[in-house]
Amino acid sequence: MHARITMGNVTMQTLKASDLRRWMMLCAAAMTERHEYLTQLDAAIGDADHGANMMRGFQSIETRLETLPATALPSEVLLTAGTALMGSVGGASGPLWGVALRRAGKVLEGLDEVTLEAFAGALRLGLEAVTELGAAELGEKTMVDALGPAVRALLEAAARGQGLSEAFMTAHQAAEEGARNTAPMVARKGRASYLGDRAIGHQDPGAVSTVFIFAALERAWMAA
Amino acid sequence: MSIQSVQRAVAILRCLSGSRRLGVSELSEQLELAKGTVHGLLATLRDEGFVEQDADTGKYQLGHALLQLGTSYLDVNELRQRALARADWLAQKSQCSVRVAVLRGGNALIIHHVFRPDNSLQILEVGSNLPLHATALGKALVAQAGLEPRVWPRLTKNTQTDPAKLQTELQLTREQGWALEAEEAVLTEAGVAAPIFDRKQEVIGSIGISGAVRELLIDDAPKAELVQLVLEAARHISRELGARLMG
Repeated sequence: MHARITMGNVTMQTLKASDLRRWMMLCAAAMTERHEYLTQLDAAIGDADHGANMMRGFQSIETRLETLPATALPSEVLLTAGTALMGSVGGASGPLWGVALRRAGKVLEGLDEVTLEAFAGALRLGLEAVTELGAAELGEKTMVDALGPAVRALLEAAARGQGLSEAFMTAHQAAEEGARNTAPMVARKGRASYLGDRAIGHQDPGAVSTVFIFAALERAWMAA
Repeated sequence: MSIQSVQRAVAILRCLSGSRRLGVSELSEQLELAKGTVHGLLATLRDEGFVEQDADTGKYQLGHALLQLGTSYLDVNELRQRALARADWLAQKSQCSVRVAVLRGGNALIIHHVFRPDNSLQILEVGSNLPLHATALGKALVAQAGLEPRVWPRLTKNTQTDPAKLQTELQLTREQGWALEAEEAVLTEAGVAAPIFDRKQEVIGSIGISGAVRELLIDDAPKAELVQLVLEAARHISRELGARLMG
């Protein structure tokens, strides 16, 4: 059953720690299933290790979450996942997602349940951390091109008072569109930026794996 | 208005490009000029060192003076030839990816790349342009000459973009003889590079290793044995190119 917070006569859907655990598990499953595809994308413009890196990173989250007590709060789930990713070896995407999840987890500390507004706000801080570390802006052919639109979609859904299902579906679509848009771009950040025009025509692997993460979020809530 | 004799001299140089060796008759045929005219032009070019005549065959080829006009294609070719064996050696010894760069159009142009010897799939970076201010290869290239004092683009949180601080860093690079890059161009990646000198004791290129921070650095400093390997490779190639180095 979906958790709800009742305020007056308005019932709001909320995310529980178990939803976030399921999200992370589905991320790990997606990275494992699609790692060859990610590696293929990365072979065109990177070091051909993105699939393996993301798979290893999210599998390490799975292992850590198994040892986290069932009573752990939503923030603890995100902090544990973030720490696992930050320690993962290879590539920048793992550590960047690690920082994002940790930043998001920190602001949710103490909460038993997380509203869409709080969740969207937390991910916005995560996005800011990524932008700051990578000095990346929209349109530079990085994960920010998928993460940015997805976070904006969540914030807008929260502002409109939409339900979580709809919000997560819109965020997933926004990430997907953002990743698709990276194909014609020249990379301005990361190793792919060395390639100049040679990177044109290829989607950024970090943006594509970001789509998988938002697809997993949508599925995690559907399964709740 | 164009000066005909200059045009013709340039045409001769073009004919001789790509390491071709041609005699007076062949040149006069190709350019549809009288032999006497070609001979006169060649004599002037020879006096200036722009062409050289082979003592045995009497044929002409491009001269050394052309090579000294900036880093020409031939320089790059020679550097690459001289660097091949040492770059392989460095990759084996360091277990890192190795790249050789030259200064070209305000960037560090990769002219040779040896993959990290671990059989992993990697992308060939030859022809890539690296930013001078954010890479070890770039800093090694400009440590002597200095960087243009402009605002350089930020590529990661660690990129040094302040002109004054970049100057200080280049001075350090000059003093220690090698350059460091710590997540300044690409997050989680580090590099160490050293300049390659030619017979005029000028920096003609740079050679360096790159890889994950945790493989190259300990507490933000590069592993000493890796720095020694890079320096050894750079010195060896410099000697091959005729540089006289102390120590």
